[in-house]
Amino acid sequence: MDDGHRMIRAFVVAVLAAVAVPSGFLLLAGKAPLATWGALLSYTLGTWVGFSDVLIHAIPLTLIGIGVAVAFRAGIFNLGGDGQLICGAVLAVALAPILGGFEWLGLPIFLVAGFVGGGVIGGLVGWLRARFGANEIIVTIMMNYVALQLLTWLIRGPLQDPLRIFPRSYALAIELQLPIVGGGTRLHAGIIAAALAAGLMQIVISRTTFGFRLAVLGESSGAAVYAGINVARVTVGAMVLSGGFAGLAGAVEIAGVHQRLQDNFAGGFGLEAIAVALMARLHPIAVPLTSVLFGVFYVGSGALQRQMSVPFPLVWIIEGVVILAYLGFVAAAARKAARTA
Amino acid sequence: MDAVLIAGLLAAGIRLAMSIGIAALGEAVSQRSGVINVGVEGIMLVGAFLAAFGALITGSPWVGLALACLGGLLLGALHGWFAIVQRADQIVCGIAIVILGLGLSSFLFRISMGTAPSALPAFRALDLGPLSTLPLIGPVLFGQNILAYIAVLLAITLWFVLARTPVGLAIRACGENPQAAEADGIDVNTVRFGCVLFGGAMAGAGGAYLAIAQINSFVENMVVGRGFIAIACVVFGRWHPLGTLAAALGFGITEAAQIRLQTWYPDVPYQFFVMLPYLLAIGALVFMARSAALPQALGRPFVSDRNL
Repeated sequence: MDDGHRMIRAFVVAVLAAVAVPSGFLLLAGKAPLATWGALLSYTLGTWVGFSDVLIHAIPLTLIGIGVAVAFRAGIFNLGGDGQLICGAVLAVALAPILGGFEWLGLPIFLVAGFVGGGVIGGLVGWLRARFGANEIIVTIMMNYVALQLLTWLIRGPLQDPLRIFPRSYALAIELQLPIVGGGTRLHAGIIAAALAAGLMQIVISRTTFGFRLAVLGESSGAAVYAGINVARVTVGAMVLSGGFAGLAGAVEIAGVHQRLQDNFAGGFGLEAIAVALMARLHPIAVPLTSVLFGVFYVGSGALQRQMSVPFPLVWIIEGVVILAYLGFVAAAARKAARTA
Repeated sequence: MDAVLIAGLLAAGIRLAMSIGIAALGEAVSQRSGVINVGVEGIMLVGAFLAAFGALITGSPWVGLALACLGGLLLGALHGWFAIVQRADQIVCGIAIVILGLGLSSFLFRISMGTAPSALPAFRALDLGPLSTLPLIGPVLFGQNILAYIAVLLAITLWFVLARTPVGLAIRACGENPQAAEADGIDVNTVRFGCVLFGGAMAGAGGAYLAIAQINSFVENMVVGRGFIAIACVVFGRWHPLGTLAAALGFGITEAAQIRLQTWYPDVPYQFFVMLPYLLAIGALVFMARSAALPQALGRPFVSDRNL
């Protein structure tokens, strides 16, 4: 058997495993796997309502995933997408009352505020890593919990809507909301922002000195120092961008979907974004595609819960298995490369 | 601060520390052998569910604990297979296990129990007769449940094994210099696999402690970051079993203190107190990061010269 066949076999095994394992759990739950997968696909890819929900889910996922990819290129794991998303949304919403005076500029400033809110937190993580060597994996995860508590407090305190009945902030003025672009659906203009971000960051990564420095640092910090690269500056820069895109995702979620801060508005995109970035092989331009794939899992699992009472946590079983299957496939590919070399 | 208060704080702190401490001890061994497993959070969740399920079905917390260890062992094997045998990226594999563990625990919980169980057969505080009723030190030292004492014994045993036995030397060699270890006739990847299995079982046991010795129920996503705090404890404890357990104790006491602070200062929003253990973890990492104790080959897959 030659290497090409090996690769195809590895791919088939990976896909089969990714389907078989969740199917086993469906059987355990007393559901027919084939009918369940059919329902998942026909809702998400066969109906406009379903597909538009997939795209709506893929918007923040794409933005955070791009950020994850940028940091990961420099060898930095940003698991703090959820916390940075919250911080971006919070800063943007906090500024919202004064943005009314900016006419059409209000919405762009709102989105930039989101980027800044997430970028500051990301930059802080980058600085802690560059200056003290603090492991960014744990630091970003811990910051997720801190940000969540901060949000819980803000929407019951300083940012609570003036009626003070529900734990939520005031609603955004209509000028600050992203327009709906999908007729008859809730699909909002954030999809344009996500597509632009993917294209822009692809150029930054492949065509600029900064992108080159990221790659050198990701290869080895020793090589980066030898090449005269300011490791601390590139680390902080990568994390500012990474956190910034997550913060932008937060502002987009508020302006496009929720119109206000509330509990649970940050739907746990952070870990999903890691998988999305990885399976896009850290190419920002490919992140929207993998985001749609994970959007299908997420929205599909929601539909299965409503239509067939399949427990929603199925989505995380699917996601976990898909990442492992992908890792197995990549490992097989790497062995092939090692043999060829 | 009077003595009664401090005693109460310590007693509660120890109780709240052990789920983190048990998981952290396993992670310390795994990391000493050169394999990092950031999936502890997910394994703890599965352990918590299995423990609650096993205890509920059989009426025995010991069965629950055994089931949790077994589940942790299996997830550890999964991590080992990808991270050691397949030489996949250890961090990414760990993240997959976090997500998978969240899915498995919540999914299985919904199809088996459905609602949070009450009156779970749980490990209760031991009654050591007159010892437990000693003033002050009674509740702190003699009023814990059996698992807390086992954890302390385990930490001491692990310290002894790692520092003073050939097995410990082999484990440390695999984490520091696997090439030299292999030259000495050590089967690096087998040693590592064993350590990852141990780490998985301990993470499962840590989750079990949470479900059937601390909270006495199961709630979806109930670990809320303790798995990651456990990893921070390994760093803070300088990869030393006793240091790791001491670090976990620090987190337990912080948790106990923040709960008390919430009632003492009702004017301060409680969320700021809830943040404290997480902020402490960040602080710990910042101050302890550049530790000389970091296993030099941590996170790097080992390719044997023999089977190339």
